[in-house]
Amino acid sequence: MKPSPCTTASEQAAAWIVRLSSDDAEERRQAEQSFLAWKAADPRHAEAAARLEKLVGQLAAFRQDGSRSPARQAILAARQSTPRPARRLAARLALLAALLLPGWLALQTTPASSLLADLHTGSGEWQSTTLADGSRLALGGSAAVDLQFDAKTRTVTLLRGQILVDVAHDGRPFIVATPHGSIRALGTRFLVNRYADETVLEMLESRVAVSVVGSDRPIVVEAGQSLRFAADGGARLASIDGPLLEDAWRQRQLVVRDRPLDEVLEQLARNRSGLIRYDREAVASLHVSAVLPLNDTDRALQLLANNFPALRIRRFSPYFVTIDRAEAH
Amino acid sequence: MDRPAVSCTASPDPLHDLYASHHGWLSGWLRRKLGCPEQAADLAQDTFLRILGARDALPAICEPRAYLTTTANRLIIDRARRKALEQAYLAELSAVADTRHSFPSPEETLIAVQALMQIANALDRVPVRAGEAFLLHYLDGMTHAEVACRLDVSPRMVRKYLVQCLLACDLQSAA
Repeated sequence: MKPSPCTTASEQAAAWIVRLSSDDAEERRQAEQSFLAWKAADPRHAEAAARLEKLVGQLAAFRQDGSRSPARQAILAARQSTPRPARRLAARLALLAALLLPGWLALQTTPASSLLADLHTGSGEWQSTTLADGSRLALGGSAAVDLQFDAKTRTVTLLRGQILVDVAHDGRPFIVATPHGSIRALGTRFLVNRYADETVLEMLESRVAVSVVGSDRPIVVEAGQSLRFAADGGARLASIDGPLLEDAWRQRQLVVRDRPLDEVLEQLARNRSGLIRYDREAVASLHVSAVLPLNDTDRALQLLANNFPALRIRRFSPYFVTIDRAEAH
Repeated sequence: MDRPAVSCTASPDPLHDLYASHHGWLSGWLRRKLGCPEQAADLAQDTFLRILGARDALPAICEPRAYLTTTANRLIIDRARRKALEQAYLAELSAVADTRHSFPSPEETLIAVQALMQIANALDRVPVRAGEAFLLHYLDGMTHAEVACRLDVSPRMVRKYLVQCLLACDLQSAA
């Protein structure tokens, strides 16, 4: 047997083709346009689409030339001639799993706290908002924030994910808070990324003062600098290429320089609708310097796989990928 | 120890090794199974042809004889199915001849039978209702809503069924 064709491409092609014959004319029109773009994006997409289009075309031909009933009788006869009962059970179990999976995934990937947040994005969803004071807030994939604006301060609590903040000057301080500390600004632009045990601030313009939890003196961070700070008071300044990071953010790319792989995978996971499961400890010792597309996590994973032969990436479906280190032979 | 010539280790031409070491054995096995030397020789040949069509899987064959008999068994089932399918198709085609413009040419029949085999095999791998939704929509031309109504499921479910069947068909085309 051939290895099955790229499952992802097949599944996507199938989903597109179903949309092409939707009952809704507007959806059909949109699907036609997007399907063309999808096919043009990758030769594997085009191949998967061609295989299915050929099949659907053949079925339409049966319908049009009046041989619907011979086609139906033929399929029936074939299936009755050699029933394959053993496979039925497997198919049912697979279907059951497929039906259960989406709901379970939703539970896995969207913590309840995020659903209650003032602003939140799903995986792979980016959103840009203008706040009441004119400041702009852009949320990356799987991000969530709470907003608290009053007469004296404007506070954005970053619950999850990464945000780009473009603060409008209005006299009140603008504060971005995480459990690891708070960033205080007047008018400036910066990126904040919250991880489980630390927060990373990247300054694009002007400066801010950061109060790290458990340390009394604020740290001033200027444009072109980054600060990683944790709740144990640890903080590390480093220099960054601000314009590059901002471009990357706008193009939904992840730029990392010598970061542990688990941190990179966390960012990819936020931008992927399925689950990426990995052994944090096993992959943390691998360090990555890369520019990865966050809006095409399949490609990003492939790029990682190409560069780390020791990495074993298994794709059970587009919705479930596991990553670990291949056993040494 | 009686190690087969082709094992998990890659060889410069694994198919050639496979053929040289096991073709005779497979023919014998098929002769005993089918009781017809011509059919057995034919099937043995087809078994290697099918494996040739999937060459990239070869280096992974660790149990060549088990692999060969599995492939041959599948061919036997496929042939029986194809025969039943083709007969039913042609019989029904004659029955509805007056509603059709013309009788299909042998080439058209071959293409139709291949597509129908692909669908019949794929439908074995999906639930009955999914298969029915697929035929009602793509063969009978019902809209999603009409299929939903007929099967008493939501239009969303109809979409899921259709995607599932298309995917199963695509996997069949690769098998």
